[in-house]
Parts: sequence; C-alpha cells; structure tokens
Amino acid sequence: MKTQFSRRSALAKLGGALAGVLTLSVARKAKAVVQKVFVSTTAPNGYDPTKHKWLMCIDDNKCIGCGLCVEACKRENGVPEGPYFRTWIERYIIPKPKPGSDQTRGEALVDSPNGGMHGFPEPPLPKDQIEHAFFVPKLCNLCENPPCVQACPVGATFRAPDGAVLIDPKYCIGCAFCVQACPYGSRFLSPVTKTAEKCTLCYHRITRGLKPACVEICPAEARIFGDLKNLPAADPLQKFYEKNRVQVLKPHLGTEPRVLYAGLDKEVR
Amino acid sequence: MMRPFKLPPQILRLVLLTLAIVGSYLVARAFLTPPSFGQYGWYRGAALGEIAARPPVFAGKKACDECHSDILHKLAADAHKTLSCEACHGVSREHCDNPDILPVKATGSHCIRCHEANPARPAWFKQIVVKDHYSGKCTECHVPHEPTKTP
Repeated sequence: MKTQFSRRSALAKLGGALAGVLTLSVARKAKAVVQKVFVSTTAPNGYDPTKHKWLMCIDDNKCIGCGLCVEACKRENGVPEGPYFRTWIERYIIPKPKPGSDQTRGEALVDSPNGGMHGFPEPPLPKDQIEHAFFVPKLCNLCENPPCVQACPVGATFRAPDGAVLIDPKYCIGCAFCVQACPYGSRFLSPVTKTAEKCTLCYHRITRGLKPACVEICPAEARIFGDLKNLPAADPLQKFYEKNRVQVLKPHLGTEPRVLYAGLDKEVR
Repeated sequence: MMRPFKLPPQILRLVLLTLAIVGSYLVARAFLTPPSFGQYGWYRGAALGEIAARPPVFAGKKACDECHSDILHKLAADAHKTLSCEACHGVSREHCDNPDILPVKATGSHCIRCHEANPARPAWFKQIVVKDHYSGKCTECHVPHEPTKTP
C-alpha cells in the first residue's frame, strides 16, 4: 500500500508540531517562574571556585591565647551570643607526673571558657606542677572526606571545589545530624536561624581577596592562610610548610583535613 | 489460529498508574530542581554566591594602609609588626567609608589581653604579671606602635 500525503494530514502534522513547540516555550517560562518563586539565585561575584584551593595552617608555637580570633569570628559572621563558636581556643595543661609513678606526665586538663573569647583565667594548678601548657586554636578542619557531608540527609552541606565545606541555609532542615557527625565539634545549631552553622573560611571575605577575619586579626601570626592554586613564591604559607613538620587532628579517622598544625602535642584531639 | 496478544486490563491499569506517577515525578523534578543544582556537584551552585554575598565587617590592614601608611611603616619596623590595626582599634569599616566616624580608642586593656602572664603562653612571648609590674598607664613607658621605644 502506498502512503498517501494529503494537504489535510500535512497541515495537521504541522499544527501539532507548532502546538508542541509553543507549549514547550510556555512550559519553559512556567518553569522559570516556578523556580524564581521557590529558589532565588544571586549572581556570582566573578569568583570561580574551581580556580582556588584554600589551605589553613596553624603554628601552635605562636598562639598566645588572646582570644581575638574568636571575638573577630563572632563579629564578622554574626555568630549568635552564647556558647556558639565557629572558631575557639582550647587550653591544654599537662601536669607533671606524681613522684614515683612510672608515667611521663599526668592527665591533661583541657578548658575553653567561653571559647577563649575573653582570655583564660589562672590555671587550676600552681606553675611548678605544670609540665606543659599551651593553647590550640580550633576550627572546621576542611576535610577532604567530610563526615558531615555524608551525614546530611538533604544535601544541604557540601564541599565546594575550592576546599571550603559550606552549608546551604535554604536547604538545611536543622536536623543536626552533621553536628553529631563532625569529629572536631566545629558545627552547631544556630538558635537564631535554626539551621546548622559552621566556619565558612569567611567565604564572603576570601571571595573578595581578603583574609578570613581570624587570620586578619591574629596578632601572633599563628594562623596562616593561602590559596594553593595561586601561591606567590614568598607566601607565608609556602614558608610555613617548608619550615615546619605538620600534622592534622585525628588522622586515624581518614577525614584528610586541610587544616595543618605545627607544634602540636599528642594530647591534642 | 493464534489470537493477537492483548494486555490484560488490570495490568494495563497498573502500567498507566506507574507511568502517571513516574511522569508526575519527572515533571515536578524538572520544575523544582534549582537551575544551578549540579553546577559543581550534588548541591545548589548558587549557594556559594549567596554565602559570599555577606558584606565583610573587618576592613583589613590594606585598607588602613591607604591613609595611615606612616603609622604602618613604624609598626612594620618594630616588634608589633604582626599586629593587625583592628586588633586594638576595633572594626574600622565605617571609619574607612567616613573618616569622621572614629574607631574605638585603644586602651591598656588591649595590652594586657596579650601580655598578661599565663603559663600556657609560649615562653618567647613577652609577658608581665600586671599587679607586680606597674599600676599606671602602659603608654607612660611604652609606645604601642613602636613597643621597643620609650616615649
């Protein structure tokens, strides 16, 4: 049988195709409207996250425990009042062993009154009983394999290509699974927004070419921050890891942190 | 003679129902997935820009250098070279935009904050026991911008 082409069938087919194209464009417009209502987008400010790789280093021999970084972080990021910190300082006091005991040291005392924001009181031990005492600044460890991202049930927390582990506040449902999952305790549930919050590496600053607030304010240069993909030859970061032997916190967890510490003691967790 | 295969009506209903469910899911997904989802990974790419949209609070030492390079030169030549201006003078972004708004006046409490003796402070760091040191003002004997000099 021969296929018959008539004007009627050709017109009908053409009309159908046209209707299809028209509904497609209408659907596209409808989609755009729906997306505008449900998800707003802001124009990126010319920052390409694939062209940077941030690294934070901490020279623990230099930290003087002044708490300026904690205060600056709270101020810069509008962290809620109270026991909520994106960065904090811990004080480790390792007492001398009891005379006659077979130990090299006593049990470490760790404190962080108000995150170390207003400094530290006199240690609870007299000076002659202290073997070692030092401060350790803590923050998000910027893991290569972040457990918090694994734990998030809605995909609100993620690791950006530049190494920052961030939270999408519009997606976060405030279940706090990530708070439990973080082995470094660097997340909290904000009493204001009811979503999880954490160190963003001052994302609003680093994308504008500024240093994070804690690095900017540290008077002892204990915090060193840089971009591994755009590293000038005489960068303090380069000097830091050429000069020091570095380690990370809790390496046995396989989280591969991107916060490197120099001069850490074995007691530090 | 073989009868042509005909889908049993109950199966047909199931197939149609499945298609309707899957179809409505696909339509909803097409409409509700944010456009930037999957731009960098399994998350909303636009979130990066939104997080970065926050205005910075601290102005940074470079901003101070634009007008106060003389003081910064003094600072860089002495022991306080690692200090950021805003560590003692407070957040100065408003002062950058309008020089009439003065930053916080630095006082002796800023000196003590770092230099009060504490066994946990590193030994290389200059520390004093304030009550045994002196009861007057720090600036009577020390110049904050050039700490090794005397006024």
